[in-house]
Amino acid sequence: MRPDATIPWLIGAAAQGDAAAADALFSALYAELRQLAKRELARPGAPVSLSATTLLHEAYLDMAAREGPSFPDRARFMGYAARVMRGLIIDHARERHAQKRGGLFELTSLDTNAAENAVDHRELARIGEVLEELSQVEPALAEVVDLKFFCGFSFAEIAAMRDVSERTVQRNWEKARIYLHRKISVDSLL
Amino acid sequence: MPTLSPDEWLAISPYLDQALAMSDPERAAWLRSLGERNPTLVAQLTDLLEEHQVLSAEAFLEKGGFGLPNSAGLAGQTLGPYTLLSQIGQGGMGSVWLAERNDGRFERRVAVKFIHIALMGKGGEGRFKREGSILGRLSHPHIAELIDAGVSAAGQPYLVLEYIEGDSIDAYCDRQNLDVEARIRLFLEVLGAVAHAHANLIVHRDLKPSNVLVSKDGQAKLLDFGIAKLLEGEAEDGTATLLTVEGGRAMTPEYAAPEQVTGAPVTTATDVYALGVLLYVLLTGQHPAGKGRRSPAELVKAIVDTEPTRPSDIVTTERANREETTTNAARRTTTPDKLSRLLQGDLDTIIVKALKKDPRERYASVTALADDLQRYLRHEPIAARPDTLAYRAGKFVRRNRIAVVLASLAFLAALAGVTGTVVQARRARAQRDLAIRERDRGSRVTQFMIKMFKVSDPGESRGNSVTAREILDKASAEVDTELSKDPETQAQMMDVMGNVYFSLGLYPKSESMLTRSVDIRRQALGPSHPDTLAAASDLGRTLSMEQRDQDAEKLLRETVASEQRVLGPEHPDTLVSMSRLANTLLGQNRYPEAEQLHREVLEKRRRVLGPDNPDTVASMDNMAFVFMVEQRFPEAEKMQRDALAIAARVQGADDPYTLDSMNRLARILSLEKKFPEAERVQRDGLDIQMRVLGPDHPLTSRSMYNLLDILQSEKNYPEAEKVARQIKARQARVRGPEHPYTAFATYLLASTVAMQGRKSEALSLLKEAVDHGLDAKTHLAMANDDDLKSLHGDPRFKALIRRAKEQASRPAQN
Repeated sequence: MRPDATIPWLIGAAAQGDAAAADALFSALYAELRQLAKRELARPGAPVSLSATTLLHEAYLDMAAREGPSFPDRARFMGYAARVMRGLIIDHARERHAQKRGGLFELTSLDTNAAENAVDHRELARIGEVLEELSQVEPALAEVVDLKFFCGFSFAEIAAMRDVSERTVQRNWEKARIYLHRKISVDSLL
Repeated sequence: MPTLSPDEWLAISPYLDQALAMSDPERAAWLRSLGERNPTLVAQLTDLLEEHQVLSAEAFLEKGGFGLPNSAGLAGQTLGPYTLLSQIGQGGMGSVWLAERNDGRFERRVAVKFIHIALMGKGGEGRFKREGSILGRLSHPHIAELIDAGVSAAGQPYLVLEYIEGDSIDAYCDRQNLDVEARIRLFLEVLGAVAHAHANLIVHRDLKPSNVLVSKDGQAKLLDFGIAKLLEGEAEDGTATLLTVEGGRAMTPEYAAPEQVTGAPVTTATDVYALGVLLYVLLTGQHPAGKGRRSPAELVKAIVDTEPTRPSDIVTTERANREETTTNAARRTTTPDKLSRLLQGDLDTIIVKALKKDPRERYASVTALADDLQRYLRHEPIAARPDTLAYRAGKFVRRNRIAVVLASLAFLAALAGVTGTVVQARRARAQRDLAIRERDRGSRVTQFMIKMFKVSDPGESRGNSVTAREILDKASAEVDTELSKDPETQAQMMDVMGNVYFSLGLYPKSESMLTRSVDIRRQALGPSHPDTLAAASDLGRTLSMEQRDQDAEKLLRETVASEQRVLGPEHPDTLVSMSRLANTLLGQNRYPEAEQLHREVLEKRRRVLGPDNPDTVASMDNMAFVFMVEQRFPEAEKMQRDALAIAARVQGADDPYTLDSMNRLARILSLEKKFPEAERVQRDGLDIQMRVLGPDHPLTSRSMYNLLDILQSEKNYPEAEKVARQIKARQARVRGPEHPYTAFATYLLASTVAMQGRKSEALSLLKEAVDHGLDAKTHLAMANDDDLKSLHGDPRFKALIRRAKEQASRPAQN
């Protein structure tokens, strides 16, 4: 891999199946999003929590501005970034769990998205694993879950990104949900 | 339930697509015709489509607080004499299933509650069993009854409870359009249930609408004693008093009492509070913490810190969205105005008393709350008394103390987050060269920290200045241990802490933090790096405030020279350091040099930053100060008034810098002998400082000296003496009894007393000052001090002067 690999270059290489590039892209985007979240939250008057959707939009604008016209289109970027966001959210839940064990109290958040409200970080982590598996079987389904469940995009937004109909997105969502549910239920049968 | 292999999934996937795109009747016909050709496929499809129905109904992955379907395959299973029908609830502890008896003995539906699988073997089981034993003690028409308890063949514990088919109490009231009186009557049933639990030494701890169902026949039923607490036994080992969530059970913050948030002991008064919230919601349709989506931190602050809006105020149209208030009122078969009038008075008073932050001020029991509501319904006078204004004001201090504890908790959590990021950053760097972005990130970390700390910076917090030291002291310890392997970030954090210590007036601590920051940065970044220079400049300012003039001047001169070279002569940071250098010169009475430097900075700032910029205003303040010490009073007064006008307009009257500007104006006015005006300005400023910075802040103290001076000049000795005593007490408290400042305060008090002719008292105060660290300069000047004129000729005074001279001729102690 090139030492000066930029994010557009990494996205291109990852799209062509370069596994090392995909890994590098993941960690670069991860660092980027995390940093952006910190920055956003440090802004005077910022909310204490930040919606994943906002974060992704900002990340895109930020990076597109920095990388210039060679930056890939928003849809392609979001596809990758949403997966990274999933990792970020699961890690966050795990960290919060760790803090909780450290004795700090935990509050049910009022305004975070569905993923944040998951009862248990392990459940979230398990969803992540099954999604990883699903992305091997039917990548489009896994991506809808990343975009909707983890990042909070609406069907309409996802449809516009993917350039497909909203009904298709919804159908993919429903299928993905059945897949996830079935896999996870089987795991944890009494 | 069989799982599908990837191949099986891919084979069935296109059929699922088709099926999901169809309407129900279409799909049924399609499945029938498909079934004739491929019954296996259709069986599989039907199975998946049914699952889909359930998932849609449950809004799986769509709503907050979803539970993983660990028991989704349970429908149809039997547990002892019960057959499970469908899942009806999912909570933090586990899931709840609708079930019915299968042995034909009763035609009764029940609710079966399972412990969450993730909690098995982690203390969750114990709690679960306890819920059973708690419920077993209770028998009340308004508490859901425990029917049975057991353990499944697979070792899964379960509880069998009375099944309540109905709505949560708030939804029920709204759906039935119950008026205020009917709502209170229904609420009284809940109070009866909670009082019964309390009588059995059980605190519910999680009272909220979703735990109070109203059955179809209109009976309120209290459920979910999942986190209830037995008052006896448990408190002794202390383990159950904190509502931390070892089992993953989060409390419900909207209904949590302050003591649940702060970790104070939970008592029956905790339930009184939650009931107050519930009544508030039932009667107004709004939450006492106000409207809108809130973050947990905001909500915590509201719970602990903010007095709720009175119920009668919150239902008026001015307070909220007109449409919503009108709807809320209509659901109570009234109008917003009428609802407000109805709540005003007794109901306001009752709810406010139930919602007191201090548990001791709430109703002593649920029964007492119920009694007052009964009295209200009978139109009798209630027992609770409304708050007076003075009473509310008295609360202020104590509330702030709690806020500080919370802030420190939040801060430590944040610190943990920050260090996590730093570790992450290190890893990223190993992969790619991110040196430049790394630096960027570092300064963001600092930004983040600054934001955290701003709670304790008086400029930001308008209060709490002194107790905030706890946060800092903890953080100083953390920064040494946590970040020792990451010197750059460590230096940044020390820099931040050093500056916050500075703004709290804790100069020695500021100095030690900043000194370390400078040292680390010189090592890591080199002596000319902008960050190194910035830290050095900050350190120079601290040294200057500590009156370490030579050290401060030397450091600041070097820093200014380097910054002029590295950053440029008009760079804002360069100007900051120049200004600090000028102040150090001023402290050494080198007025012309200081004036010239301050003037240069002012001109550059006006040009570079603009006339309204706070730094420009600070330069104006500095100029005014220089004019003042040079005794060019008209120029000083004009400059100071201009600066004050901009500061008050741009930064606000409560801003510490505005206050500083006010102080200086008062000082100038008194030097011009415009005493009444000076006193007025000074007292105004002091009032705000007492409130904003607290009595122990150095700036407050400086204002008090000024006021003393003005009062003495006005010959208002009784008032002057009062102020002098305050100063002396403050210095003894903050600096210690042997500190030169304390001795000087004693000396000032002595002179105030002497002016009133109370010679003996003045002499004994003077002796106290001389013996307890009064500095040599004052010793030597004492004989000629006009303020002590009344003592001249007194032999005791002469003896005291001899003694003072002896002490002054001894080598300085430090």
